[in-house]
Amino acid sequence: MPRRVAIVGASQTPSSSHRKDVTYPELVYEAVSGALEQAGLQADDIDAVAYGSMDPFDGIFAPERWNVEACAGAGAANRPLMKITTGGTTGGSTALAGYYHVASGLFDVVLAVASQRVGESLEAQLVLNTAVDPIYERWLGAGAITIAALQGVRHFWRYGTTEEDLALIAVKNYDNARRNPNAHLMRMLTVEDALNTRLVSWPLRLSDCCPSSDGAVAVIFASEERARKITDRPAWVSGAGQITDNYWMGDRTWYEDWDSLSMLARRVYRQAKIDDPLAELDVAELYNAFTIQEIIEYEALGFCDKGKGAELIRNGVTTMEGQLPVCPSGGVLCTNPIGASGLIRVAEAALQVMGKADDRQVPNVRKALAHAWGAVIGFHTLMVLSSEAP
Amino acid sequence: MSDRVAIVGIGQTALRDAADDRLYHEHDYEAARLALADAGLDRGDVDTVVCSGWDAVDGRTISDMHTAMSSGGYLKDSSHVGEDGIMALAYAYMRIAAGLFDVALVTAHGHAESSFETVSNVVFDPLFVRPLGLSHLISLALQANAYVQRYGVSEEQAAKVAVKNRGYGAANPRAHLRSPVSVEETLSSDPVCYPLRELHCPPQSVGGVAVILASEDAARRISDKRVWISGIGWAIDSYDLGSKDLSRLGSLAEAAAKAYRMAGISDPLEELDLAEVHDITAFHELMAYEALGLAAEGGAARLIEDGDTGPGGRLPVNPSGGVLCANPYGASGLLRVAEAALQVRGEAGDQQLESVGKALAHGMSAPSGAAARTDCAVILEGV
Repeated sequence: MPRRVAIVGASQTPSSSHRKDVTYPELVYEAVSGALEQAGLQADDIDAVAYGSMDPFDGIFAPERWNVEACAGAGAANRPLMKITTGGTTGGSTALAGYYHVASGLFDVVLAVASQRVGESLEAQLVLNTAVDPIYERWLGAGAITIAALQGVRHFWRYGTTEEDLALIAVKNYDNARRNPNAHLMRMLTVEDALNTRLVSWPLRLSDCCPSSDGAVAVIFASEERARKITDRPAWVSGAGQITDNYWMGDRTWYEDWDSLSMLARRVYRQAKIDDPLAELDVAELYNAFTIQEIIEYEALGFCDKGKGAELIRNGVTTMEGQLPVCPSGGVLCTNPIGASGLIRVAEAALQVMGKADDRQVPNVRKALAHAWGAVIGFHTLMVLSSEAP
Repeated sequence: MSDRVAIVGIGQTALRDAADDRLYHEHDYEAARLALADAGLDRGDVDTVVCSGWDAVDGRTISDMHTAMSSGGYLKDSSHVGEDGIMALAYAYMRIAAGLFDVALVTAHGHAESSFETVSNVVFDPLFVRPLGLSHLISLALQANAYVQRYGVSEEQAAKVAVKNRGYGAANPRAHLRSPVSVEETLSSDPVCYPLRELHCPPQSVGGVAVILASEDAARRISDKRVWISGIGWAIDSYDLGSKDLSRLGSLAEAAAKAYRMAGISDPLEELDLAEVHDITAFHELMAYEALGLAAEGGAARLIEDGDTGPGGRLPVNPSGGVLCANPYGASGLLRVAEAALQVRGEAGDQQLESVGKALAHGMSAPSGAAARTDCAVILEGV
């Protein structure tokens, strides 16, 4: 039985396509000071830092070095700091690292920080293209958009999903984002508007794709003893994990089904003692960088059978008023500081469990799920947070 | 506190000068296979994989998409640190200590497809420092200079560190540079950046290192060549070179203090039988003696003058030859652990010391050199 660990504070900065109003360390400090304040902690209370960002999108090698003092003065105090980079899952992997720091018994209070200034990239997809094999795959233009479009084509062909279904997902997330002061895209969107936005890579239109954002997020993990002293209502980690899929795109068979995510979900639900995720989860923050992925995630995460994801959105099951609200924050679709987005999912799920999600709060959240995918859909991370200690 | 964690497998590839036809992740693969063979395990026995490396150095984003696979991560729980491999070991240690995994594979690679020195300029903030041309080695030269100025350490004393390590490396078949050098050769080698000369500095080596960690129960089942991690600590230093005391290694002092506390070590010079330290420059090894508590501040030169850290000395330091003889950037810190663990196992070859009970391995994860340098200290013990 591992040590019990809980989240006791979480804070995100406002996002935009380029936060020119702050330097990079100032951006990170915004998130860190917000999380410390929420938990009622001082910089000295932090025992260690786990830091996530994807250097190539910042155009800086090892930005955590530049930002080390913004992480509760970690450098001046010679604190432990560990840098995590795993593509789009970086934020999810950073949450896992923060969790293991405390679960190991080496540390009691650990700050997980993730940041990204995609506004420093001329074009994020060109940067991402360098991730894939330079000889066989790079020249095809492979990146997040094209791979998501491929998922869409397959899902449409196999399960009859339509462009209207994607538009429903976009409308739901845009609606939710308007209640989230930290969201990047905060505007009205109707199904008709969505279907009239320009085509990016069929079947994905502009409203089916996430923006590139600048933003940072900080989450504080604490041991049971410390967590109970800090807050009456922490968010307990009751399940967590990562799964690694094949590097070669041609060797993956599951574009429309995402079997690797299903495998991970089975492992993590077992830890969290979840049998029926649709009934037992109260909210899910999914990494929906593209609308089609949210539908595939419903299926892979067991919210419905394979091929039935679109029915959930058609029936309003995942709206704020539905049985299982998905992405009350507006999700990655409305805010995407890449390396931070996975930790934002964890932060949002934690705030929901802690009852601190303000206008986007879902009533009586007992169990929340946070997901991230990354590495050109090669990696997934999941974390289940609960109001009751495991 | 959870069960103990042991090293049960070690893999080191041959270290070379320059890239051959292998890609960066193939070094991880080769090292991982060697470590699995050393432990008598196969890929299916590994629960979790932690890789390491820097995208900026590997020349592509999410470079661990490849290394996770090369390290046997397929359908497993993997992660990746943007650090030297010794920090991947620290992370894997936590995953096992938490009781959530039994066997972890840690990999690191170094290659010469890019110049680490050139790429490291991009670590520095783009407004104030990067335009000065600062780099990994130049920042370490500033640090060496601050140390020399403060304590009056001579170039000859630093040269003696290079002579000691290159002498040791000459007898280590796993080292990259295997030729001894003299004090005179060191002092007449080309200046790199004052006070550093060519022979005060490490090579850039190509190769991979892998280490397998296991929980206490799993370790007893897997191997009778267990090396226990009885202490571990890491810490980062501040970033701004202008606002800290460059003449001491604060993050190493903090990391070592934690590792010593955990391992119950109060007098490291007496209690340790060997140390593998990250001698990124000859001056840096002297500074490390002080941060590790082997000498008082300013007293390190005495140790090298007296031969205390050389063959037959009180505490041999870098009997492998150290980083000055083998420097796969990104794997050099993990290599210190591998070499120290081989000593504890009594399998270090020609430089094997007699009965190593407790060993220290120090790795530095420092893309920015002296700026926001991370140090990790690991204490290893036999049975």
